Amino acid sequence: MQPSLILRSGRSAWKGPYFVAFPNLRDALENNVAIRTQARSCTILPNFVGIRFMVHNGKDYMPVTVTQDMVGHKLGEFAHTKKRFTYKMTKNK
Amino acid sequence: MVHVLGVQLPDSQLARFALTAFYGVGHKTAHRLCARLQIHDRCKVRSLTPHQITELASFLASPSTAPPLPRLPLAGPSYKAPPPSIPLQELRAAFAAASGKGGADPLRNMKIESEAKRVVKDNIAHQRMIGSYVGKRHAMGLPVRGQNTQTNARTARKLNKVDRW
Repeated sequence: MQPSLILRSGRSAWKGPYFVAFPNLRDALENNVAIRTQARSCTILPNFVGIRFMVHNGKDYMPVTVTQDMVGHKLGEFAHTKKRFTYKMTKNK
Repeated sequence: MVHVLGVQLPDSQLARFALTAFYGVGHKTAHRLCARLQIHDRCKVRSLTPHQITELASFLASPSTAPPLPRLPLAGPSYKAPPPSIPLQELRAAFAAASGKGGADPLRNMKIESEAKRVVKDNIAHQRMIGSYVGKRHAMGLPVRGQNTQTNARTARKLNKVDRW
């Protein structure tokens, strides 16, 4: 069995993690303003901890508050893109 | 039937493959274990001595606290023995320096049975706690790695749980 965070990163280590430089990062840290973003593939870095993001899921923006445990993951993992499947019997015959 | 650490090993099997009955031990690890405990490749479980069985049990109970392997390098054909005039301390120091860099022992960090299952449980619990996609799929009992769900998700529906094991 293996540690899931490091091994399944998928990107070569020599390239470094893929991330987006948000211009209002410091503002978000100090004033607790949410950052709206469509960059779902941005890796969560340690200096993102504590910031509220509004991550796009194709239609709406989902609130995501970053904690220390989320550091190696991507923003899009926390914004579900599909509605949960529910079976509704159609009345057509 | 030999009982080792809660697992039965059938008598008629080769020891090397009977050891794969442990959760967390596959063919590679089993072969390494046999090499470490000096069990022959073709030795069957019924011909293991009680001493070997107790050694196996004590090693598997805690692989990290087992005594380290002695690194004894073999002399090449052109080796010339040092003259007896050299003091023993010097010879020992030279030997220790030469054998200093051994590779990491892969059997030290081996996890078996409940420890290995705990690692998996912790990983799933971590994913669930942070609220990621993987955690949600485990909670819903659906495939996690992007498989088809319109058909064929039988194993995932049966086995994927947050509190697996």
